[in-house]
Amino acid sequence: MEAFFQALLGGLVLGLIYIAIAVGLTIIFGTLRLVNFAHGAFYAIGAYVGLVIAQHIGIGWAFIAAPVAVALFAILLDRLVLRSFYDKEPTSQLLVTFGIALVVEESLRLIFGATTQQYAMPAALQGSVTLGPITYPAYRLLFAGGVILMLVLVWLFIEKTNYGLIVRAGIRDRVMVQLLGGNIRLASSIVFALGAAIAGLVGAAATPIYGIDPATGFAFLVPSFVVVVVGGLGSFWGAVLGGLLIGELQSLTNLAYAPASSVIIYLCMALVLLFRPQGLLGESEVIRQS
Amino acid sequence: MTSTSTEAPGVSKGGSLLASDVRFAVLTAVGIALFPFLLHPFGGYSTLATQIAIVSIASIGFNLLLGYAGTLSYGHAMFYGGGGYIAAILMLRAMPQHPNLWLAVIGATLATAVLAILIGALTVRLYGIYFALLTLAFAQMVYFIVEQAKDWTNGDDGLQSLPNALLPLGAWNLDLTTPLPSLALGPFGNLNELRLWYVFAGICLLLVLLLARTLTRSQFGEILGAIRENEQRSTLIGFNAPAYRLAAFAISGALTGLAGALRALFDGSVPIDSIGIDRSGSFVIYTVVGGVQTLFGPVAGTAVIMFLENVLSAKTPAWRLIEGLIFVGVIVFLPRGLSTVLKQQRDKNPRAIFVRSLRPSNEEPDPLLKPSGEGRRSGPMSIIETFKLGKLFGHFAAVRDVDFRVDPGELRAVIGPNGAGKTTFFNLLSGTIAPTSGTMNYKGRDVSRLSGTARVHLGIAKAFQTASLYPDQTVRQNCRLAALARVQGPFRLQVFRRSTRLDEVDAIAERAMGRLDLLGVADVRAGDLSHGDKKRLDIAIALATQPQILLLDEPVAGMSKDEARKTESLIRKLSTEMTVLVIEHDMEMVMGISDSITVLHQGTILATGTPAEIQANPRVQEAYLGGHSEAELAHG
Amino acid sequence: MSAPATTPPATQTRLRVDAINTYYGDSHVLRDVSLHIGAGETVALLGRNGVGKTTTLKSIVGWQKPRSGSVTLDDEELVGCDMMSIARKGISLVPEERRIFTNLTVAENLKLAQVTARKPGWTLEHVYEKFPRLRERLTHKGDEISGGEKQMLAIARALLQDVKVLLLDEPTEGLAPLIVREVENVIREIKAAGITTLLVEQNLYSALAVADRCYIIDQGEIKFEGTPDQVRTDEDLRRRYLHV
Repeated sequence: MEAFFQALLGGLVLGLIYIAIAVGLTIIFGTLRLVNFAHGAFYAIGAYVGLVIAQHIGIGWAFIAAPVAVALFAILLDRLVLRSFYDKEPTSQLLVTFGIALVVEESLRLIFGATTQQYAMPAALQGSVTLGPITYPAYRLLFAGGVILMLVLVWLFIEKTNYGLIVRAGIRDRVMVQLLGGNIRLASSIVFALGAAIAGLVGAAATPIYGIDPATGFAFLVPSFVVVVVGGLGSFWGAVLGGLLIGELQSLTNLAYAPASSVIIYLCMALVLLFRPQGLLGESEVIRQS
Repeated sequence: MTSTSTEAPGVSKGGSLLASDVRFAVLTAVGIALFPFLLHPFGGYSTLATQIAIVSIASIGFNLLLGYAGTLSYGHAMFYGGGGYIAAILMLRAMPQHPNLWLAVIGATLATAVLAILIGALTVRLYGIYFALLTLAFAQMVYFIVEQAKDWTNGDDGLQSLPNALLPLGAWNLDLTTPLPSLALGPFGNLNELRLWYVFAGICLLLVLLLARTLTRSQFGEILGAIRENEQRSTLIGFNAPAYRLAAFAISGALTGLAGALRALFDGSVPIDSIGIDRSGSFVIYTVVGGVQTLFGPVAGTAVIMFLENVLSAKTPAWRLIEGLIFVGVIVFLPRGLSTVLKQQRDKNPRAIFVRSLRPSNEEPDPLLKPSGEGRRSGPMSIIETFKLGKLFGHFAAVRDVDFRVDPGELRAVIGPNGAGKTTFFNLLSGTIAPTSGTMNYKGRDVSRLSGTARVHLGIAKAFQTASLYPDQTVRQNCRLAALARVQGPFRLQVFRRSTRLDEVDAIAERAMGRLDLLGVADVRAGDLSHGDKKRLDIAIALATQPQILLLDEPVAGMSKDEARKTESLIRKLSTEMTVLVIEHDMEMVMGISDSITVLHQGTILATGTPAEIQANPRVQEAYLGGHSEAELAHG
Repeated sequence: MSAPATTPPATQTRLRVDAINTYYGDSHVLRDVSLHIGAGETVALLGRNGVGKTTTLKSIVGWQKPRSGSVTLDDEELVGCDMMSIARKGISLVPEERRIFTNLTVAENLKLAQVTARKPGWTLEHVYEKFPRLRERLTHKGDEISGGEKQMLAIARALLQDVKVLLLDEPTEGLAPLIVREVENVIREIKAAGITTLLVEQNLYSALAVADRCYIIDQGEIKFEGTPDQVRTDEDLRRRYLHV
């Protein structure tokens, strides 16, 4: 029974990472119509920036430096390369972002080596917390809380701020936003940087748990894409629902029959794509546009 | 249909093409034979040369899908690794005593073809990222199965130490590991550094190249290209697009499986990585770097990247980064791949070579345009009749409860204010969208459930509001495609023959162009036509499907006055031979050519009658003037 | 309502369209279209379907860029500016399909217009006073309101901004007769408020009732410029360019 609760909590933590990456993917797709295969690279860059800062300056700074650095990298990437691919067909977008992911991964391998690295979490958080029948590492609980808080903040930004309003309007109708004098380009850049920063921050924060090697970004990206597709491309709550579903599915399968834990999510995605291609909470119009 | 006597008798079909095939084969064979010696100065890579030859086959297969069918698979490792495992298992289990290379290779290729058909049947209806992810998902499932079936596959360790296969060939039983005879070649080493394997792999590559060349130039390749270029148009001239994509997927999978099997037998082992996600990615890299939609691009890309991997990996740890930079560089700066640099003069329109010119058709009455059966204005039977036909978009009823009837031979105009539902109504008739209520009969038969493609074959054709063409093809080829669909049906796997051998297709296309006065621009690229010619070409395409009823959505919209009048008279001529339904805002034309007019307003039929009746109908005036009568207006 | 029978362009010209040519791909849609609107004027642009009325509006706001010609607002050239900056200069298009953000509530649609405004126009209170039905619908999503309410909302969005020229594209299209009257009343209010308006209509009655001047466009060319009375009385004109 305890193992079950452990797995449930583990699934939540994993699912939250997926959600954080998937939310970035999905809001970027929603506003820019860009399918970004390089999103995992943002996670990895964030993790390595966090690693360096944590080792040399301090862990607190790592959580600030990682998202900022990744956001800057994303803006640069957007301006230099991606902007000219906005209007191209999705296959070209997939190819170019896949290539960028490759370049980032190999650059990280050159700089940091191929081995998995980790940095120690603060001593105060190294202990465990007892919650009723189970004990669970304190850092993981804090991590889960932090990611939830961040998602709430992102949700508040999108739902409650003026920029969020422009972003949501732009998801539906970019032309009308401009006819009303809204700066859709600026809003899009903000969304791109924000999505990247979330991935970078989560990358930095998750490294004490999962460690980081150059391939980790891609390893997290693929399940996050599964999450986006299962939840519905372009839907915030779809990403949340899909992430929880996929995270728990993977974690519980791992408990029941470990070797199947990676394949189960693909099975889940295949079933969704075959029977409800727009995703659980997606709208059918999106699938035609992509 | 027999060929007409106007056909130039001296054109020997395929005679000269055969010569070019032989020349192609000889030159390619020479290239393959010389390739390993070019590698020699870099350190004698006889093993690498064989591996490149083998993996190139997979890349060619991959390119058939990415380049020619236009869809990106991110799961081709399931065929590559799958082929390898099946070949290895056949060797180890089925014939441990007398390992026969033929059986292993052919068995593996057929098995991957079956796998590709099964998976393709589930995936080909999806596009873009969805297709890529779904193929990835299936590849991961195959990986899982292979990893779990440890008894057969040895799990994560892969299968090792395969027996050395023998290749029975007539009286001989060739051992492919035998070195070639000794022959010193100066700076290019010695012939005996190569084993018989390279000869075998090279022959396989040559055959696959010949196959790919034939296939992409065949009728099948032509149709696949058309579907890639404009799927909407292709389905509405009568091609079953998913079936063609499935066939491409199956062939692509089988070739990749063949390569996987050869590689396993050559290496004597199959690693689990051969079925992994990075393997799938490698085919993307090889093909894109070399050049999609080109015959030798995938081979060049495979050779360049595999060579770099071997040379650079010894010299610098950054080799994979360099590979990635090359990949991104190619996508950003050379979207058609490296081979475009080598061959700037690449034929912009490879299919144009199929087009032979015919003599202009003479003015005889045209038997082809007169579909079988149906007489004009004779039978009591309607050609199209709808009953309470309706279409809801969400809560919005674009078309509701439409009872509509057209008699054979009629020229009916459908008019109405903006947003009246005219285009939606046409889409319901042509089968592009399914009704949410009601039924539709075509010549007394309920066709409500039939797809647009099926309806084209029954004789319902449509020209679009915005001309839907194949912009990279000539006018003639645009019409030929439609005629081809008529003659060959919704799906035919004709991978060896070119469509140019079909006189009937040429004849139909020729006549369709003649009817729309396009013979003067027959060999112009459709994308380069004037607006008016594009609109008329769209009608000619519809006409080349040999319809019995032609749906024209705003045929003269955006045309100048002169063009509009010219098109109007062409449509009037067409209407003497078939039923024509036309949506149009040009009232001069509507009143001038229609037998009768139906007015749609807010999704329902407001009135139907002769032009004079419609002009006199106060309710129609009201609809156009916005809910006020003429009298009210005068006193406004 | 006491509009003068005709308002010669003696008042200052607010918007001037000068010999614009606009294409969709190869299709030459507008041919040397010229028109002008004085400050405070209400001008109707009439014509049948597909003759270039909507394209004229799109050319003015930079949605479909003219290949030649000029569009000026208070003598400031607009051709070459992007849609956002033209909107921020005070030209507000209420498009044909209304383009309500269906994923946002009515309140959010209104809020957006305030957020993106360079300068505020009407207050929300003023809008609610003129469009009482919108107040009742504030929490409804954009796809849960009726066609008439969508039209009111689309116009209200424009009025929340400091609009110098209002472009209305077929505001009565697709509405039930009763709702058409309501929208007509709204347009009268806008006119009474002194807002410069270019009204594109197929609905002759609505247009003639409020317009100070009229243009008739056919086949992408302006065929007539004159007063509503001229259109009313000239049956031949109507038959040639406007009727079925």
